[in-house]
Amino acid sequence: MTVTRRKFLALGAGAAAAATGLTGCGSRSSLGGSDQLSMWTWVGSVNDDLIAQAEKAIPGYDDMRLAMTRIGTNYKTKVLTSLAGKSLVPDIVAINDDVATYFPNADQFHDLNELGAKDRESEFLAWKWKLGITADGKMMAYPMDTGPTALFYRTDMLQKAGIDTDPAAVAELAPTWDAYIELGKKLKAAVPGSAITDNITGVYLYALAQQSKRYMTEDGQYIGDQDHIREQFDLAIRVVKEGLSANAQQDTTDADAVVTNGKLVAYNAAVWWAQLGPKNAAPKTKGLWRVTAAPGGAGNRGGSFLAITKYCKNPEAAFAFISWLESAKNQAQAFLDPVLFPSTPASYTDERMTAPDPFFGGQRIVDVFGASAKKYPGAYFSPYDSIIGAPIAAELVNVETAGKSPDLAWADAQEQIERELTRAGAI
Amino acid sequence: MRAERTRNVISHVVLMFGVVLSIFPFYWMVVMASNTTPDIFSYPPKLVIGPHLFENMGKVLDNIDFFGSMMITLVVSLAVTVLVLFFDSLAAFAFAKYEFPGRDWLFGLLLATFMIPAQLSLVPQFVTLAEFGWIGSLKALIIPGAANAFGIFWMRQYARGAIPDELISAAKVDGAGFFRQYLTVGIPVLRPGLAFLGIFTFINVWNDYLWPLIVMTDPNKLPLQVALQQLNGIYGTDYSMVMAGALMSVIPLIGVFIIGGRHFIADIAAGAMKF
Amino acid sequence: MAVTSKTLPTAVSTTAEPAPPKPPGRFRQALPQYAAISPFFILFAIFGAFPVLFSIWISFHSWDGIGEMKWVGLEQYSYLLADPKFWQSIGNTLIIWVLSTVPMLLLALVIANALHNATRFRSFYRIAYFIPNVTSIVAVTMVFGSIFSNNFGLLNAFLQSIGVTKIEWLTQPWGIKIAIATIVTWRWVGYNAIIFLAGLQAISNDVYEAAKVDGASPRQTFWRITVPLLRPVILFTAVTSTIGGLQIFTESQVLLGDTGGPGGSGMTIVSYLYESAFLDNQFGYGAAIGWALFILIVLFSIVNWRLIGGGDERTARRTARRVATGKENADAR
Repeated sequence: MTVTRRKFLALGAGAAAAATGLTGCGSRSSLGGSDQLSMWTWVGSVNDDLIAQAEKAIPGYDDMRLAMTRIGTNYKTKVLTSLAGKSLVPDIVAINDDVATYFPNADQFHDLNELGAKDRESEFLAWKWKLGITADGKMMAYPMDTGPTALFYRTDMLQKAGIDTDPAAVAELAPTWDAYIELGKKLKAAVPGSAITDNITGVYLYALAQQSKRYMTEDGQYIGDQDHIREQFDLAIRVVKEGLSANAQQDTTDADAVVTNGKLVAYNAAVWWAQLGPKNAAPKTKGLWRVTAAPGGAGNRGGSFLAITKYCKNPEAAFAFISWLESAKNQAQAFLDPVLFPSTPASYTDERMTAPDPFFGGQRIVDVFGASAKKYPGAYFSPYDSIIGAPIAAELVNVETAGKSPDLAWADAQEQIERELTRAGAI
Repeated sequence: MRAERTRNVISHVVLMFGVVLSIFPFYWMVVMASNTTPDIFSYPPKLVIGPHLFENMGKVLDNIDFFGSMMITLVVSLAVTVLVLFFDSLAAFAFAKYEFPGRDWLFGLLLATFMIPAQLSLVPQFVTLAEFGWIGSLKALIIPGAANAFGIFWMRQYARGAIPDELISAAKVDGAGFFRQYLTVGIPVLRPGLAFLGIFTFINVWNDYLWPLIVMTDPNKLPLQVALQQLNGIYGTDYSMVMAGALMSVIPLIGVFIIGGRHFIADIAAGAMKF
Repeated sequence: MAVTSKTLPTAVSTTAEPAPPKPPGRFRQALPQYAAISPFFILFAIFGAFPVLFSIWISFHSWDGIGEMKWVGLEQYSYLLADPKFWQSIGNTLIIWVLSTVPMLLLALVIANALHNATRFRSFYRIAYFIPNVTSIVAVTMVFGSIFSNNFGLLNAFLQSIGVTKIEWLTQPWGIKIAIATIVTWRWVGYNAIIFLAGLQAISNDVYEAAKVDGASPRQTFWRITVPLLRPVILFTAVTSTIGGLQIFTESQVLLGDTGGPGGSGMTIVSYLYESAFLDNQFGYGAAIGWALFILIVLFSIVNWRLIGGGDERTARRTARRVATGKENADAR
């Protein structure tokens, strides 16, 4: 009897230890072995050759290796969940252009200025650099690529409408959105079914990407209900009402189809669309595309960042790695594959970038996008931009697909935004 | 007598029709997994099994770490099953066959815990495990489910009827302590009940989706169901490959079920009747 | 809700110690038993009771799970009550629940009756009907996704071949709900049929003989005798399906993605909880939705108690247990 009882006590103690003992240590660990720097990113956000080099050894830290994971779906959710989970957090994470939404949790990341980022600032586009810095001056995210915008167009389609297809001529013909709409009407008259945007949000987001103000001011005022937003909202609706949208909604196979079948003859879009759009969906149109300065002026949409989490095993090595990966020389390489546009102006004269692009009929597209990137004024992104932008985009889709009245859509979007912002404690 | 016969025939017709509906999705899964994606997308669709099954399975193995995921799921399912069988049957044995102060009160408490829906504690449980540093590790899938009220309740009902008191008295006379009584008297008699609870637990853990989806944050260590959904999410356009993955994921479980299924089904039904 | 010790049957046990000594001794002597039942209670305290209490606390905060918790009092709940998406998710869940439970139980009853009449191949039938229930929802949903697919789905191909225009199952509000309900029905019909069958087999043959002597037709026998006698079993399956139905998640998420498809027509309560807590990182709001779900389940349980016949403590107790197993089955979803 005594033996079994002792056995039992041991068992009970074991169970208690299993439940509490293991927990006591509260292990807050980063992902990967002690000689590894773990990194998460999404598919198509880095140059694979460079990553392969770092997977052998981090430059300057021969005993450290990179362990890279490309996440296919719900990237941001996975990063945030692992941060909330407090264990097995990667050392380095890629962050999209919604970098400001991470600012309330900037304490989860290292201040890159303390690791030597300050010295590199002059190499980067000033507006891009600023986007990674929090209100209280902490450098949370290091620039990767950018998304300068320009007008993409099909020369064969313009020819059918009797328009001069030279980039300079097209830029002169459509310096503003109004002129662009007129051009679109001409194209549509010549080739029925032609469209100058894939859908309504395409116009809205790219027009917004040219503004120097967005949804909030730096001191926290909500300005998303003002004219500079309403004008872009109305512009997008106007393009649709003129019948110049292909009505192929975001993230559907239709969005690729309108590029493949030639319906989309011109598009004001960011540089990365070159790959995601025509090169992927319409390889047969090689040589027919050109780019030129966008109607409405220079803009930027997209582009990403790298951040080092506070769980990082070796922040110095991690910083050495990211500053190496994002050097002007290596960013030029990432432009070749997978078409990431550098945030370092020195890259724009790198001969790998200035080589003529046969897909664009031998045009040096870097000149167009580089000019856009340098001219873009920059804008303030608030931590709440995502929750403000979502209802506006959703209501625009309602206008295009369900014929909702624009005024009602605007009012509904503003009402939803007010509810969300109140809950988030932003207003 | 003739009325009886016709009723019998009608019954079989109804039943066979039901069987076809019940089995058809499995057949369809095989059809899709063994044809190419263009075949599946064509009209009229191919209705027969094609020659590309192994090719599609190969593509699954190329795209996700299928066997790695299956190992994780297997380890978790086995670990939970073993722990549940041990803890639940031990507790059930004590509840069913011994008087001790507060027993009925504690058993009532155990029953009351049934009322809490799992989703209520989804958020706080995640936070709790985060504080423990368990998020992303298999512990998060194994430990919280290591003992459950349903199993204890079910085993207690079973043990009350199945274990004769005389056996326990005899073991006591021989000087066996509680644990020895559990091992020598309880376990042998409870074996059929354990078989049921084991299969039941194993299947449930194997198929669990929401909780692993939330806590297994490491993309290199995904349990089977989550990996399968990932395959679907990323390579959704390669339908035949996704279906080959689905097929590969259900085969082991159907095997387990067909081996142990007959008794299992009888026990499920008997379990429901006991309430 | 609480099942008090008084109402529990005291086990007929002959193993009690002959003369209970003083209380301290009784506790000491029962130590092995306490040790034996402790794992469950320890685990429940850490992973069940504590999180539930903690979730009340979380629901009074605005919190992204990472940074500081900010006290907001009842704000999450007032947002919840005015949140159209939340009400839509409740509406969706209830519609899917009705669309699945009603056909499921009716079909199960028919199958059980046929199984009861059929004397041969019984174990073959039972296995064939039960297999859907042991197959993972993720895999099953993928298959059904291809059956219901707008463009290349088998169902639409069939409709086209008989000259009916195809239906956009996975984009129309009703199509989406029917698709989800079909998956649930397919997966659970066999399970419920087998439980009904056990109930049928427990009905004494004498009752049927008596009915035959009275000249009752098979249909009369079924509705007047079988169904009433099956009532407890039917209630068991109804309660089980209710609790399971209120917690549907996987079917919707795998079939339609995280946001419940176009217009959120397939978003269930648990999907919305998942989206709020783990996609939008609104942990406080997620916790509040969890409580709303809990209240909904309690409400439905009370309705079920009433249906059985009010105040009777014995039946109430039985229901409590049915609810209990119902939850276990629901967890398996």
